[in-house]
Amino acid sequence: MPKEILVSGGGVISALGAGKEATLTALRERRTGIAPVRYLQTAHTELPVGEVKMSNAEMMRALHIPEEEVSTRTSLMGMMAVREALEHARIGGKEGLRVALISGVTVGGMDKSERYYLDFLENDTKNAYIATHDCGACTEMIADYFGVFSAVETISTACSSAANAIMLGAMLLERGLADVAVAGGCECLTKFHLNGFNTLMILDREPCKPFDAHRAGLNLGEGAAYLVLEREDTLRRRGAEPLCRLSGYANTCDAYHQTASSPNGEGAYLAMAKALEAAQLTPRDIGYINAHGTGTVNNDLSEGVAIQRVFGESAPPVSSTKSFTGHTTSAAGGVEALIAVLALQHGFIPVNLNFALPMPELALTPATDEQPTAPLRHVLSNSFGFGGNDTSLIFSRV
Amino acid sequence: MEELILELKQEIIAVLNLEEVAPTDIADDAPLFGEGLGLDSIDALELIVLMEKNYGIKLKDPAQGREIFKSIRVMAEYIYANRTK
Amino acid sequence: MSTRSDVYILAARQISVQPPLTDAWMDAPVRYDAPYVQAIDPDYRQHFAPNEARRLGKILKRAMLTSRQVMAATGIANPDAIITGTGLGCIENTEIFLNALVREGEELLTPTHFMQSTHNTIGSLIAIDAGCRGYNATYAHKGTSFECALADAVVQLESRRIQTALVGAHDEMTPGYFTLLKRTGYLGHAVNGFAGEVALSMMLASARGENALCRLRGVEMEYCPYDGEALRQALNRLLQRAQCSLDEVDAVMTGVSGRQANDQVYASVCSRLFPNKKLLRYKHLFGEAYTAPGLGLYAAAVCLGRQHIPAHLLAEHAGGEQRSAGNILFYNQMEGKNHSFILLSPCGK
Repeated sequence: MPKEILVSGGGVISALGAGKEATLTALRERRTGIAPVRYLQTAHTELPVGEVKMSNAEMMRALHIPEEEVSTRTSLMGMMAVREALEHARIGGKEGLRVALISGVTVGGMDKSERYYLDFLENDTKNAYIATHDCGACTEMIADYFGVFSAVETISTACSSAANAIMLGAMLLERGLADVAVAGGCECLTKFHLNGFNTLMILDREPCKPFDAHRAGLNLGEGAAYLVLEREDTLRRRGAEPLCRLSGYANTCDAYHQTASSPNGEGAYLAMAKALEAAQLTPRDIGYINAHGTGTVNNDLSEGVAIQRVFGESAPPVSSTKSFTGHTTSAAGGVEALIAVLALQHGFIPVNLNFALPMPELALTPATDEQPTAPLRHVLSNSFGFGGNDTSLIFSRV
Repeated sequence: MEELILELKQEIIAVLNLEEVAPTDIADDAPLFGEGLGLDSIDALELIVLMEKNYGIKLKDPAQGREIFKSIRVMAEYIYANRTK
Repeated sequence: MSTRSDVYILAARQISVQPPLTDAWMDAPVRYDAPYVQAIDPDYRQHFAPNEARRLGKILKRAMLTSRQVMAATGIANPDAIITGTGLGCIENTEIFLNALVREGEELLTPTHFMQSTHNTIGSLIAIDAGCRGYNATYAHKGTSFECALADAVVQLESRRIQTALVGAHDEMTPGYFTLLKRTGYLGHAVNGFAGEVALSMMLASARGENALCRLRGVEMEYCPYDGEALRQALNRLLQRAQCSLDEVDAVMTGVSGRQANDQVYASVCSRLFPNKKLLRYKHLFGEAYTAPGLGLYAAAVCLGRQHIPAHLLAEHAGGEQRSAGNILFYNQMEGKNHSFILLSPCGK
């Protein structure tokens, strides 16, 4: 029998603001964070994005980091979210605990690399930013800022990175390989990502419309979010309060195409079905699904098919909060897990913005009413990545 | 038109890294996608950029490509009629 | 945790600076006198149809081929998990897209290199190639990327969540990125050492099978930039869980590479934690790379499988060739920050 994994804290920063309070308020007031480009230096000003509304300098001041210190936007956002998560769970030092940091990231220090790349090649003045380029460097910068972590790992499965980090955290805790796991992900907006997704012609020129018949692509976002996970024995020993339980999780591979999801949503179907099985729940138990819901023609249809395969015609309320945050890529699994936890805690359904017309292929209408039909007991969060790296997490009331 | 057809074949071979294909292997009217050359949706995106880069033709919607990239001849005719460079 | 399952390394295949897809380096290692050496690639045209290969960069072809061969060798066509470690991912594709972006601007970029630039391209292509819908994850954590992947597999095998796992270590090195990493001091400054490339696939399983190379008795990692005592505890945790004493460890394999700053950390930890052990090395044959430990562990596993440690793996001050091989402790670290210990044993024990 696997040990109970409890959530005892969380931290987030996204287009909705810094912190859980700002996130919750924006969700409930239906105020999107998607807006014209303000911070990223790009020619594509026509593309709406979900930027964190803070400059690097502002984040450094908030973190009391001297302005001359080497940092990347991704690591700064990671520090902001981890700090909130640790404070929330009241973890201040090692205190005899083996605390793991598991962070998901994809392009790491690319914000600096794309700015200084020619410098990198031609002279020796920006070497510090070569060293901060890779994914591991990003996680270690976050770890070194706090100094409380004994195990530090980086997962990189594109847009499901943070969800897989949370899953690994749970597995380490179950095996007794860590006492506490701080798990999630971070990713800043870069020209590299914006242009990359643009070449795939899957960016909407308007605010994204997940699960709408006229959806035309995704909006890229940025952010970071981490959950604090621990076993019940650690939690009791620390005298901490659980927010909820991570009751099930599953990672599968669609094994279909590098950038497209299969028409029958096989990977997504398996991820949801196996997560339910692990949680020993039936589809009827789930009160809300926070979908991957990027807003692309391909994802939303494939995911919708998979949801119908698992839940039949009577699926619980489904929404994509990417209509609020944009697609925060590596952070998405963390941001959305945290939103799922907030929904559970506060008993509301985060709505799906910009929805007008159902997809003709499916009987699936995303949630536009925040009032759940029955009290929420279990919520499911989907995160899917390039290459079909699909992960589902289930959170349950304690 | 024949010149444009040959030029197109050479460009497609280079852009899509079709190493072991010669221009003579591509029939003017053979389908480019599915059967024939066996191209896919990512190749279509590459061809959309090729159209803009070389001929100044901007396609906004990947769905448009499906008609235009039917065969080399259809593609050449579309370029002939719409090119701005 | 008495119910935990055993873990075996069933087979492994590599493409590196040593002759590809063989263990020929055991008897006839190729030596290099250059700061940067690229892998010896097999003739991929024998393994990939032209239309299949046209989009695949080197790192992807290498990963797919070594994986296919390990799956064929073990008869495990559909492993329960595919877990990949890569420090830099598809750095060639990343560089091509980044170069175009920086030099030519934000118009007229094309998707092919971007869509195969993410680290998980490697693991997901292996899954697509083999039709594997099971667990699939990718780790990218500098010099311990491979151990993170390995540890994930071991956790799931031990807890019987899975029975088989294909674990990979993959890093390519381009001339451009070698230049950059030379500037940071990581590559290109080793005395009698060089930067290499890594493609290593190995099959792990909880059942021993007939031809397993060795037993894998545990992986332990410790992030301790400032605390030497924490390392001793990490080592003790590993040995305790494996029910093995340090006395029973016959040799320690480390990642000494000729880069002074990093080798000093090895010297200091080795003298403190295992002062009298025979030391083995591998980077003088395979070169330095973030996932080079994958090749090191493969080398140790082959030695255990053949019950023979060739003299050329012994650190210089040690004695001659060894006809038997007992428990091998594998120790890796980068910049004295993230450390890993792995314990391997012959299958018989």
